[in-house]
Amino acid sequence: MSAREVRLRARGFAPRRLPGAGAVTAVCVFAAWEAVCRAGLVSPFALPAPSRVLAVLAEMALSGELLAHLRASLGRLAGGWAIGMLCGVLAGLAIGVSSLARSVGLPLVSALFPVPKIALLPLLILWLGIGEAPKLATIALGTFFPVALSTASGVDQIPRSLIRMAQSFDLPNRAIVLKVILPGALPGIFAGARISSSIALVLLTAAEMIGAEYGIGALVLQAGHLMRADRLLAGVVLLSVLGVAIGAGLGALERRLLAWR
Amino acid sequence: MTLVSSAPLFIAQERGYYREEGLDAELVFFRAAQPVAVAVAAGEADFGVTAFTAGFFNLAGQGALKVIGAQSREEPGFDFSAYLASNAAFANGLTGPEKLPGRSLAITQHGSSFHIMAGLLARKLGVETKTIRMVPLETLQNMQAALKTGQVDAAILPGHIATELDRAGEAELIGWVHEWTPYALGGLFTSTRNVERRRGVVEAFVRAYQKGARDYHAVMNKRDAGGKRIFEADAEPVIAIIAKYTQATPEAIKAGAPYIDPEGRLDVGNVYEQVALLKEEKLVDASVDPARFIDLSFISGHFNLPR
Repeated sequence: MSAREVRLRARGFAPRRLPGAGAVTAVCVFAAWEAVCRAGLVSPFALPAPSRVLAVLAEMALSGELLAHLRASLGRLAGGWAIGMLCGVLAGLAIGVSSLARSVGLPLVSALFPVPKIALLPLLILWLGIGEAPKLATIALGTFFPVALSTASGVDQIPRSLIRMAQSFDLPNRAIVLKVILPGALPGIFAGARISSSIALVLLTAAEMIGAEYGIGALVLQAGHLMRADRLLAGVVLLSVLGVAIGAGLGALERRLLAWR
Repeated sequence: MTLVSSAPLFIAQERGYYREEGLDAELVFFRAAQPVAVAVAAGEADFGVTAFTAGFFNLAGQGALKVIGAQSREEPGFDFSAYLASNAAFANGLTGPEKLPGRSLAITQHGSSFHIMAGLLARKLGVETKTIRMVPLETLQNMQAALKTGQVDAAILPGHIATELDRAGEAELIGWVHEWTPYALGGLFTSTRNVERRRGVVEAFVRAYQKGARDYHAVMNKRDAGGKRIFEADAEPVIAIIAKYTQATPEAIKAGAPYIDPEGRLDVGNVYEQVALLKEEKLVDASVDPARFIDLSFISGHFNLPR
């Protein structure tokens, strides 16, 4: 019987990063946009060209306005997101390991997750005023729920045998949580961090509805009201760049912390 | 928008005034003021009625829109928008609008009607607009929440909300906008294209709008001998029409009914002043010229014409 060569069929889907593909896509989108505007197909008032948006960004950078917006928004994002992440990870771990926390926490999270945070703004003003507190709270609230859920599901996906083995070796519960459960749940935590970082950016605009003089969300809101499409799009570009930067940062951190996978 | 300020449009539709002029009008409603102007500029609607804001002036200044008449206005003797002080600020001496400089004032956004009202007040008091510290809070709900808790010293709010807050002891009503700065709240506008190419249609529409405005004026702008606003039995049919479009109760309509000029005449000089004060704060582009976006030829008898 002659041997027949069998091609390896089970290659799976293994998406790789194609270097430069993202940048090429961005360049194509901007080139098409610029072309449409240059050709006069749309009024510059309805859709300003990317070159105009860049010019606005440059003006804002020179006048120091850009820095003021970025500083205000980054502070709110970092603060609100950190609070939401911390509380979310703690709640998720608790839901993952304790029957009581799971029975109480999961229904609560399911009930409160879908509440639109913008609807709560008047209440947040009554409770927390119009300073930084309600802005941080809006972002933290939006961050908390997805992080809690994905941390809990990260804990659920840890092979039970690992935990049982740690228990057979008579490790104290604290050590099991810190050395087995927390690292095991990291993929889930990172998934939550990615989703919640985008949610935090979306909620930044809602948070800055409340008495914000500076901030990218405030910039976008005001530009919309003033019918300044160029400034509005400049704000949108800033939000996108922030989204990409945060995503890249999280990716790098994830590759480092999850190198063992 | 389904506001009482748009009542002449509703009345003209219900009483067939557009049809009499040979127009087949369809009313389209938007949830906010800006999209109305955008829709007309883009040619998706032919006429619009909305409040004046910096955004509206910026759009009109691009040349695509022409203001041809008035929406409603703050008219002496007709309560519409009120100045409110938080209880804390009132106790602390904010007893009248003349004391607003140096205080914080809740508004929806920079360049909104509220900003314009504050700016007009500042001009009347002879101080710079920025001496009134405006706090943008995006919605009326947020403004009320901030006012009730004393997070802001003051707010300008629609009269029916203001009297309710005052009655409940949650804030102090310290004056009416019409007592300080009577002003043109908004306009009736169309696209420049319509003015240039379909003048007959615009004229017909204006006639129908004026008939609706006269019907409103005849029954909704009444005052008794003592100067108090009154609504008599003859107002009921008009209130019923407004209720059909706004879904508001008759009581709410009476409480929130603005003064509407029977001929749709505009306080032109006041619009110039609004544009000027918003330009000073760089909220309206320096290139915007009210003379170029106001067309006075459709309605006669406009007020306060600049020379």
